[in-house]
Amino acid sequence: MTEREFGEAYVRWSSRLRRYVYRIVGSAPDVDDIVQEAFLRTLRADLRGDDEEEWRRYLYRVATNLIVDRWRRQKHERLSETTHEPASPRPHYEDEATVAKIFDELKPRERTLLWLAYVEGESHEEIAVSLGVGRRSVKVMLIRAKRHLRDLLQARGVLAKS
Amino acid sequence: MTDWFELRDDEERAIAMFMSRIANVRVPDPESPTVSSSTLWWKAKLLDKWEGERRAQLPLDIMQPIEIAGGLVAAGLLLYWSLPYLL
Repeated sequence: MTEREFGEAYVRWSSRLRRYVYRIVGSAPDVDDIVQEAFLRTLRADLRGDDEEEWRRYLYRVATNLIVDRWRRQKHERLSETTHEPASPRPHYEDEATVAKIFDELKPRERTLLWLAYVEGESHEEIAVSLGVGRRSVKVMLIRAKRHLRDLLQARGVLAKS
Repeated sequence: MTDWFELRDDEERAIAMFMSRIANVRVPDPESPTVSSSTLWWKAKLLDKWEGERRAQLPLDIMQPIEIAGGLVAAGLLLYWSLPYLL
């Protein structure tokens, strides 16, 4: 990959990757460190510059691994962070802050799974590689994440209870 | 009985809609200026260079203690063989 190709890939993917990392990690100050490190490692992996899809997948895989490493390092903090405050009944989510708040109530791994599946459109196989788990596990974890999100949407009255 | 692995269509639609909304929610700007692509490029080149140097140096680092040990053994044997002549 040439410097020019990397510059173009950086412009194309950096803000999108930053949005992904920010949504998973939250407002932590190390979002930009993770993004920077993901680009650095992807660049050093010496992938073909003309295969954009492979490059994008590798970039997201590295970023996801860095996020997972961060969870492991901050395991105790994470446990305390995942205690959810009771959801206050609200009829709809009208503003961006409420949407972000609902998403933040999911566990970090659930946020990762849902983002990769819905926003990045990755298959179960690709998510499995990114998270270092089996494809079957991804299916189970993804349905759990979806059910959790469904419950949060139902608690706010966005979705009718079954 | 509903399959545990399946959500209702309206639930699937609501989740997909929610995910498309969250994907478009703005993210605050970085607190510090972001690193330019050329800075990252040169940092990667520098790290590759250091890695190359480290790899080149590795056999020498492994051989050095072996050389010292060999020298000490040779010196010991020489001393042992020459001891009768020295006494």
